[in-house]
Amino acid sequence: MMFTRFTNRTRRSAEAAFEEARMLGHDSLGDEDLLLGILRADEGIAANALSLLGVTFEDARGESDAMLSGALASVGISLEEVRREAGEVFDMRIPDNRRIPLSPRAKKALVGARKHMRRLGDSHLGTEHVLLGILDNEDGTARRMLARLGVAPEKLEDRIFELRDRAAG
Amino acid sequence: MNEKMGTRVGGLEDPRAGLEAVVALRRTLEALEAAQVENAFISGWSWARIAEVLGVSRQAVHKKHAGRIRARYPGHAPGRKGA
Repeated sequence: MMFTRFTNRTRRSAEAAFEEARMLGHDSLGDEDLLLGILRADEGIAANALSLLGVTFEDARGESDAMLSGALASVGISLEEVRREAGEVFDMRIPDNRRIPLSPRAKKALVGARKHMRRLGDSHLGTEHVLLGILDNEDGTARRMLARLGVAPEKLEDRIFELRDRAAG
Repeated sequence: MNEKMGTRVGGLEDPRAGLEAVVALRRTLEALEAAQVENAFISGWSWARIAEVLGVSRQAVHKKHAGRIRARYPGHAPGRKGA
């Protein structure tokens, strides 16, 4: 099962990820939403490692917006004009009655997270395992979002392991 | 997004950018449809008239939008314009 052995923190960050995905109009939960969830829950080794590299939830959310605008601009559509034309009621949010599945990349990240957990000899799935799983996805949206924020994946991995060592004493 | 300025997006040069533009359009289209149906409802249009302009059945519009919009405007009777 995809969500077993989650720590409470990981569960909270997953819930935050679904809320983010819904708010941003993502009809499936992407690996970038998992990253946003970790930042929004703002606790645990993964969030601290990101914070050490200067990544804030607001920055990441802003990049997500910029990537949407950019994709639309690439085919000649201005998100600003669409917003203006549709008026106040325009909202990317997915209605509450629609379920959001995990995207293939998000599934892959969570499967990878479990592998990292086992490899590291841990018994529970922490946010750092999820972040490591996200980073394995070289073609993922989360990695591109981090690149736009000036974060190299290797640096982030280093910070994660430093924080783990420190926590272990 | 088109990272190399001046090159065409999508097509054979950059399939990922082309596919991502499709995803961005799909998400924006969904939000735009929801907003314009809501705008029509606020203007007093009936579900039948909204459906007609969208070129779909009244049931389809109702199923997709009525619950959300009615929850947002409790007590707002369905429009009679074009009923």
